[in-house]
This record gives sequence, C-alpha cells and structure tokens, in this order.
Amino acid sequence: MPLNLVGKSVHRVDAVAKVTGAAKFVADITVDRMLHAKVLRAGVPHALINSIDVSRAEAMPGVHKVVTGRGCTILFGTCLWDQPPLAVDRVRHAGEAVAVVLARTESQAEAAVKEIKVDYTPLPYVLDPVEALSASAPILHEKNGEYRRVQYVVLSEKNNNVFHHYKLRKGDAAAAFAGCDVVLEDDFEYPLMSHAALEPHGAICRFEADRSIEIWASNQAPFVLRDVLSDMFGVPNTKIRVHIPYLGGGFGGKSDISIEPMVAYAASFVPGYAVKLVLTRKEVFTSSLVGRGMKGHMKLGATKEGKLVALEARLCFSDGAYGDTGWPVVTVSGHNCTGPYEIPNCHVDALGIYTNTPPVGAYRGYGHPEGQFMCSRLMDRLARTLKIPLAELMRRNFLSEGKANGLGQVIKKSNGDLYACLEAVEKSLGSKPAEDDTYLYGRGLAAMMKSPKMAANASSCAYLQVSGDGSVFINLAGIEMGQGCHTVFTQMAAEALKVPMDKVRIYSDVDTQFTPWEWQTVASMQTYRGGRAITQACERAIELLKSNAAVVLECTPDDVEYDGQHCFLKSVPDKRLTVGSLARGYMYQNGLTVGVPVQATGSYRVQGVTEPDPETGMGNAAGSWTFGVQAADVRIEKATGKVEILHFSSAFDPGRVVNPQLCRGQITGGVVQGIGHALHEKIQFDDKGVIRGANFGPYHIPTVKDIPEKQTVTFVETPNPEGPFSAKPIAEHPIVVVPGVLLNALFDATGVEFTHVPVTPKDILEALKGRR
Amino acid sequence: MATITLTVNRVKHTVALEHDKVKLSDVLRDQLELTGVKVGCGVGKCGSCTVILNGKAVTSCNLPATRADGAEVQTIEGLSDGFALHPVQEAFIETGAIQCGFCTPGLVMRTVALLNQTPAPTAQQVKDALEGHLCRCTGYEAILEAVRVSQEKLSRV
Repeated sequence: MPLNLVGKSVHRVDAVAKVTGAAKFVADITVDRMLHAKVLRAGVPHALINSIDVSRAEAMPGVHKVVTGRGCTILFGTCLWDQPPLAVDRVRHAGEAVAVVLARTESQAEAAVKEIKVDYTPLPYVLDPVEALSASAPILHEKNGEYRRVQYVVLSEKNNNVFHHYKLRKGDAAAAFAGCDVVLEDDFEYPLMSHAALEPHGAICRFEADRSIEIWASNQAPFVLRDVLSDMFGVPNTKIRVHIPYLGGGFGGKSDISIEPMVAYAASFVPGYAVKLVLTRKEVFTSSLVGRGMKGHMKLGATKEGKLVALEARLCFSDGAYGDTGWPVVTVSGHNCTGPYEIPNCHVDALGIYTNTPPVGAYRGYGHPEGQFMCSRLMDRLARTLKIPLAELMRRNFLSEGKANGLGQVIKKSNGDLYACLEAVEKSLGSKPAEDDTYLYGRGLAAMMKSPKMAANASSCAYLQVSGDGSVFINLAGIEMGQGCHTVFTQMAAEALKVPMDKVRIYSDVDTQFTPWEWQTVASMQTYRGGRAITQACERAIELLKSNAAVVLECTPDDVEYDGQHCFLKSVPDKRLTVGSLARGYMYQNGLTVGVPVQATGSYRVQGVTEPDPETGMGNAAGSWTFGVQAADVRIEKATGKVEILHFSSAFDPGRVVNPQLCRGQITGGVVQGIGHALHEKIQFDDKGVIRGANFGPYHIPTVKDIPEKQTVTFVETPNPEGPFSAKPIAEHPIVVVPGVLLNALFDATGVEFTHVPVTPKDILEALKGRR
Repeated sequence: MATITLTVNRVKHTVALEHDKVKLSDVLRDQLELTGVKVGCGVGKCGSCTVILNGKAVTSCNLPATRADGAEVQTIEGLSDGFALHPVQEAFIETGAIQCGFCTPGLVMRTVALLNQTPAPTAQQVKDALEGHLCRCTGYEAILEAVRVSQEKLSRV
C-alpha cells in the first residue's frame, strides 16, 4: 500500500515551540514555594570526611536548610545499589556532592555554600582503569561484591575495584589463534568524554506531607526515575509523579539516574517546598555522568585469504566512583567489540572498574564506539598486512543472513545489508588527491553494527483516544530530546489512521501520573518500539470504529470499511458514518447511543530477548541490529598538523526512513559528534585528581568550523517486517565508528598507527617528525 | 538595591537587581519571564543566551545587567508577532535546523543580527558569525542551510 506520510520530510511538530522560545525545558519551570539549591562539591578525588560544619551557612540570609549525608543510609541504583545520594563519610570523586544548601534565591544559596567547612583526611586516589586493577591501588569500595545487586547481570568481584566482569567465551580462541596465518594486536585508548548536551541537567522536587513526591527532571527515563525514588524512600510507585519537559539533548547523559536522588534527598528535609537545582556547565562535567573511559587491548587472527578466525580483547573501563550506570555499557562493549563481522572464536573480558572519576553512564553508541574503535583499526591493518583491499576484507567477513554474531545469534536478511551500505559509500567517493607541498591526503573506511542494550522486558505502551471531531490524541512516554520522536510518532499514527497529521496530537508533557508505562527513551528504540505500540493502538481504534459502525449499519464489523474519514458498508459505500460521529459511540437523533467510546492501547516489547549467560556471555541479548559503513577523505596541513575533513560519507540501513530530513540530521549530527571524539575531546585531570578546564572552550566540542566540507548520507532500506512500516533503530549509529574511519584516514595520510583518541594536531606534528 | 531601566521587545521595564553580579540573562529569564533565552554554559562560550542589544548580537549570560541600563533588547520572544513567524524562524523550521532546540533561540537571534548588518554575507562571514554557537545535535549542516534560506527570504521582503 502506498504511504502518504511515512517516508516524507514533514516539518517537526515541536518546531514552532522551539523556534519561538516557547518550548519549556526544566530550567524554565517555576513552581510555587520553590527553593533554590546549590551544592558543595568535594574538590578532592578521594578522602574521608571527618566533619562538616554548616552552622555559619545555616545562619546566612535566605537559607532554609543545609543538607549533608550524615546519617544517610540510602544507597540507590537499578541493578547495583552502591551510591548514596550525598557523600556520607567518604568522597570518591572530586565532583561528588557533600552538602546542599536550600535557600530562597540562587545567589543566597551560592553565598552560603562558601561558608560550609569540611575537614577531610585525604586518601590515595586512582584515575586510570589499568592502574586501578593493580594490587597496590586504593580500593574505592570495601563492600564491592557485597552490595545488593541483580546477580545474574552484574558480575562483581571482591577485594578489588572490579564491580563488573563480563566474559565472552565463544569457540576456542586460544586454539584458533595457533592456526591463524596472521595475528595482529595493539593497545587502544578512548578516554572519558562529556556528552555535552547543550541543556545542563536539572530537577525540581517536592515532598508533600503525605510523603508523596513530585519531580520535574531533565531525564530520558521517567519510570526508572520513579522506581528509583520509590525504592529510596519506601514510597509506592503510584505516589510519585514524574514530569519530563523538553530535553535539550540527552545522548544518554540524561538516561541514567544522576542528580535526581540528591535533589530528592535534599527536598525530603523541607516537605512542602519544592527544591530546584540546575547544574552549572562545570558541574555537568564534574558531577553528572561522563562517557567512554576505556583502555583496551585487542588481538585479531585471520587466514591468509582474509577470513577472520579469532578475536581476543580486554576492555578496561574507568567507570568512576559508582557502578550502576556503567555495568551494562561494559557488557555491550564486550559482546559487540567484534564489529559487524563473523568471528567464530572470541575471548573477551570487559571490566567495569571503580576509579576516582565521575561515574560513567550511557553515551551515544553505548559501548560500541569503544570496542569497534579497536576492531576497525585492526581491520585496516589486517588489510594492509594481507595486501587485500580493506573493502574486500570487510566483504569476506560481513555479518549477513545465516551468519552468527559474537553472541551466537544468527542474522536474518531483514537485519540489514552491509554489502549494499559498502557499495553506496564506495560509489560516493571521488579520486584521492596526491600529496602536495601543503597537505597530506588520506582516506579511511570502516563498518559498524549496533544492537540495543535493554532490559529484557523493555516495552513501550501507548494510549489513544478519538475525539468527537475525529481528531486523535496519543499519550506515550517517548521523550522528545531532539531526535524527533514526536514527529515520527505523529507521522506513523496519521499514516496508520489514514488522517492528516494535524488531526493527531502526541502529548508532549510526559507525566507518570497519566502517561502509560514505558521502559525508557534509550538505545535508539522509540521509532521502532514506540512506533509498534502506536500502530497497534491505531489498528485497535479502527476496529472499534468499525464495530460501532456495524451496530448502526446493522452488519458485522467485517462488512465495514474505514478510510480515515468514514466507516462505510463495503457493499454499499454510500451508507457511511463519519469517524467523529462514531468516536463516543453513535448517538441517534433522540439521544439513544450505541457502541463504545473509541479508546485503545498498544504495546510492544522486542520478543525473546534474554540477558547474556553469565558463564559464556552469549545468548539472545540483542533484539535488533542496525548496520552501516562510513568513509572519509581528509587532508592534513603539514605545517600545523591540522586535520580538515573534505568529505564524510555514511550509508546506513534503517529498514525504512520515516522522515528523511530528520534521519539525515541524526547522521550529520552523529558524525560531527564523532569527529569531536576523534580529534578534539578528552576530559583532563590536574595533578590533584580534579577535572580541569571544565567548561566549553577548554573542552572543545566541534563548532561550525570543524565540520566536513561535504557529507554524503545514503540510506539502504532492507525490508524489516518486525518494524513499524519496516523501520529499524537509527540515532546513535553514526557516531560508532567515526574514530575508526578518521584514524584509518590519518594512517593513510601519514603512515602512523594512531591507537588513541583524540588525535590532536600536536600528536600529528610529533608523528610527522618521526616520519621525516 | 540598584535598578536598571531597559526596553525589551519594545516594552520598557525598570527592574531591581539582587546584587551587582546579576547578568542580563538573569533579568530576562527570572524577572521578565523570557525563558526563550537559554543558558548553556554561563561564560559566553556556547551562544545559547544570545540576544540583540542595541542592534548587536551579544551573549547575555556573561553580560552584567547594569551594562544593559538604557538599552534596547530583543529576545526570541520579540521576533514574531505571536502567530506569524519571522522569516529566519521559518527558515530554521523548513531546513530541519532544529533538533533539541536548546541552541535554537540563540542561533536565530545571531542570524537575524548578522543579516540585518550584512544582508549578503560570504560563507566565511556566516561561519565567523556562528562559530561562537555550539550545537551538539545537528552537525551544523542544516543550520548553515537555514542561514542561506533566511538570506533568500529576507532579500524578498
């Protein structure tokens, strides 16, 4: 059936609100009886708290309360409960919250924070994940391995800093390496980075006298937040109301629970008052969540014909002071570090390690960029070693129908077509210029895959109601954070209902008091999973309209046809009733009403997903895949080492592109974010273990002057019966292998094997010196 | 307590400042409820808080409010008449230059100021003007296109 709206670049449904300044973000919200919070941060990476003196601060003008962690016995988490809302007797990273001042104005709170005196006994600290494994490293949590945790998925060790050790044991890697013609290996580093969503994290929380809790938060996971607060304070889920306004970017940095437990804990001391905290940019760097932080080693073995045989990898993550947000990233980084290739023998250890840094959480790509950075660099080297063109080597090993991935799952045709992606990228490239006096030129190529990491019961739920004028509203908890899910939802609902888009309204204020349950907006799953929930609700609503019509037309529902405006008798199309007239049941002239009000629900859960087996790390843990191939042409200015990207070409297979303009925006934005990782971004620490340069400027995210001269974006659309209108996840994907592409291009230009990001002009000048 | 008088979106206001470090963005957001002015960094490095002050685009998060005493200020809220959008706003929508929308008001105001001053900017002038604006979502491609389309629309007005 031809599609009218799905596949069209319709304008965003939230565009007018955003372009007029009307769209509300959490910082824009004011509620009555609202106090402002400011937080005293530790300032030291690891120390015992001997005493905190808040007496002067509490006497300052406007101050209602100064809250510390003294006596707090709460540990919060979702699968690993290791973090207090405020430091209790010890700080484990320099950005950790030690005390919260609640005052009438923000500047009063800020002034009072300066009056708090804390006495510390410094402890040795460790920032590097490999150092944190050594016997002499300070132990951050003596209770590691004893904390409450979901034991099947969080595999903690004891008496060390390893709070999660994921193992993939597929085939027999050791034996397989012995039979390989070529074995290559190297060390790699992908340091800590900031998501740098433009909107800083914020929350407003109020405890009522009856112990119910209301919170407004910049969070991608309202129901997870609700459940965490419920667990923290022993309040039923139903007495907690979470509101989520527009999010000014998330990229995973707002998917995990970060500042909300602290704000709620502080608010619990001033019942009746709302407590508002919006982080400063500095705090976003030091005291929310950060991403990546991997040091790794990978070994790849192949036959001389270029068939991959074995992979061994060890990924060590400096996951920061607390582990609940890091462990699942570690798991995925491990089982998907194979990239989009079939490798029969895999031996992977991925370790989540406590370090004295901010906790690591989800970040766009979710473990895939770290692992596939290593694999894409080694593939490039393998191609050169075997003297097989890289594209050909990739083709000989791509995952495709009937082949098994690292988890042992067998790929279906509908999972996507890497060969077509590669062909599209190859076609888009022109000829590569030769070195000239000013520039070196290089070309890089890499392929990626990503599967969502999710709770095995992760679902989306939608509620739909048809109104008396035939317009429709839909309520679901897909969070709009820029990716365009509300627009895509509207397109899909209007398509399914055969109505114009302006007849469909997606509720934009997610409110757990009214909105049906949803796992969370992560893993690029809203188009796919939310879309299935919506289309099911639409189908059910149409069925109800037909059965209402059947009563009036005195036939069976099967005799009724629906065209978006009317329900009519198939055999006598002139016998028709408008959708509006059927929406609340059908009312005859005398008021007698038959049928039912038309309201429907829909839900979708990716079927059959399990957690990986704790021993082998294998199993049906990935519910879908998206494949892609990317390439870049770069030039390096010899005098300065500056890298310019002349052309960046991407091809992805998202099943069906629901909105080409939005989808292209995901790719162009993801590529530029990846360029930041490859060439610019790294969270740096001073010699006292404190993050330095914690703001834009010192931490350089790409500006308009750092972007490729040209981006080519191609979509391969392999039919996917499982997806709504054939769609598959696409959002995180364009970032995954950008560092691999660019570092492969840098090798091509310079002959230098860079194995760390970011590669700065200084690194390049150093390397070129060695080259001459 | 010091007071300042300023004209914002054609309306004159006198506001009291809580202390001498109050920034223009605080006055606009907290006292005049113009929350379309976004604060992303607090140090004038991301451009989200950009407003037009006496005809020039400025970052309001690091501008002492006292410096706006007597000034004429335009924010995103003053750009359209409430229903009919400004051509630059239309261009941002049509070109897909908006994702999360947090950087959008600042970029729109910068574009308006740029095209008021330089109706036909070169590609380099556009990049120079936008360099101080960070966007983490779009990769800037659509934003550059929005500026181009804005220029076309304004040249037809």
